[in-house]
Amino acid sequence: MSLSTIEACFVIGKARGEAIIVSTMSAMFSISAVSPSPLNISSVPLMGGASGLGLGLAIAQPNKRVLVLDGDASLLMELGTMAQIADQAPTNLIHFVFNNNAQFAGLANLKRPGGASFDFCAVALGAGYSTAKTLYSVEDMVAYAPVIMGSPGPHFVELCIDQQPRFLKEMPQPEIPDLQFMRMGAEAQSMMEALGVTHE
Amino acid sequence: MSITDYQIPASKLYQAMRSEGINAVTTVPDLIQFALHDQFQQAEDIEYIECSAENQALTTAMGLYIGGMTPLVMMQNQGLFNCLNTLRSVGIDANIPLVLSVGAFGREIANLGKSPNDSSRVCLNKVEPVMAAMGIPYFHLETEEDLPQIAKAFATARAKKCAVVISIGYFPSWT
Repeated sequence: MSLSTIEACFVIGKARGEAIIVSTMSAMFSISAVSPSPLNISSVPLMGGASGLGLGLAIAQPNKRVLVLDGDASLLMELGTMAQIADQAPTNLIHFVFNNNAQFAGLANLKRPGGASFDFCAVALGAGYSTAKTLYSVEDMVAYAPVIMGSPGPHFVELCIDQQPRFLKEMPQPEIPDLQFMRMGAEAQSMMEALGVTHE
Repeated sequence: MSITDYQIPASKLYQAMRSEGINAVTTVPDLIQFALHDQFQQAEDIEYIECSAENQALTTAMGLYIGGMTPLVMMQNQGLFNCLNTLRSVGIDANIPLVLSVGAFGREIANLGKSPNDSSRVCLNKVEPVMAAMGIPYFHLETEEDLPQIAKAFATARAKKCAVVISIGYFPSWT
C-alpha cells in the first residue's frame, strides 16, 4: 500500500465538485497544482489554522461542502478544534489529515509527537465526528469518496501518506518568498469574490 | 468615582456591537466579560462558538468572515498573548478585519480610572504596547462614556483591513 500527497490531492480534486478546500503544509502545494480554484484557501504561514478556518467556512456556507486538508503535526497543534467541530457538527465538513508521521516532511522529516501509534481516528470518533476512517491507497480513496461526499458529516479521514525523502545537504536551502505571506489574504479575497460575499 | 462607574452595562456593549452587524461570536470565555457573553448567548440569531484556544477562535472567525458572516472574537488579555502569531497571520498578513473584545483580567482596583499601562501587572501593562508593536489598533473602554470607541474600532478595522482590539477595562454590569 502506498499513497503520496499529490496522489491523494488528485483524488480529492477529482471528487471535489464545487467544494471549498482549506489546505495547509504539503497538501497546500499539491492541491494548488492538481485542482486550482478560487475556492481554495491555504492556511499559510499558519501551521495549525486549517481546521478552524474550515469550521468557520462550513458554518457560514452551509450549502457548500468544505474539505479541510490538514497536516498531522498541524492538527496536533490545534487538536482542540476537533471538539469545536464535533460541537457544531457541520454536516458539510470533511476533515482529512495527511499523516506522514513527520514534521517538515520532505525537508527534515523530524519526528512528530505521538509517532505512528497516535490514533487520529479514535480522537475524531471520541470527539463526536460522524465517521472516521483510515485510508492507505488511491484505490481506498476512490472507493471511499462517494461514501463521505454523499452523506452528512462531519467526516474524518486519515490518509496514511508515504514520507518523502528528506532534504539533502547538497541542495540549496529554500527561501520563503513574500508570496507565502500574502497568499492567504489574496486567496481569502478571491474566495469571497467567488462566493459573492461582500462586507459593505 | 464609584467602582460601579467602571462597570459598563453589558446590554449597551452588546447593542453597540450588534449595531455594527455582528452575527457570530467565537470565543474562549473570559472572566471579565461574563455579562457580555450572556447577552450574546441569549441571542437566538447569534452563531456562538466556544473554542478550546484563542488561535482557534481567530481562525474560525476568519472562516466565518470569508463565508459572509460578521464575527466578534471574545477572549481575555492572557488569551490575547496566547495567540499573537495567529493574530499576525489572520489580522495583519491576511488583512481580515476582525474585532477582538478583550477583557482586562487582573486589574487592580487602584488602577481603575488610569491607563492599564500603569498597572503593575504585565498582562495588563503590556497589552497596548504589544499591540502597538504589531500594528494592531487598540481601543480601551473605561466607562460608559467610552462606548463610542466601539464604532471607531469597527470603522478602523474596515478601513485599515486589519484586526483591532477593544479592551474591556472592567467587569461589565449585568444590566
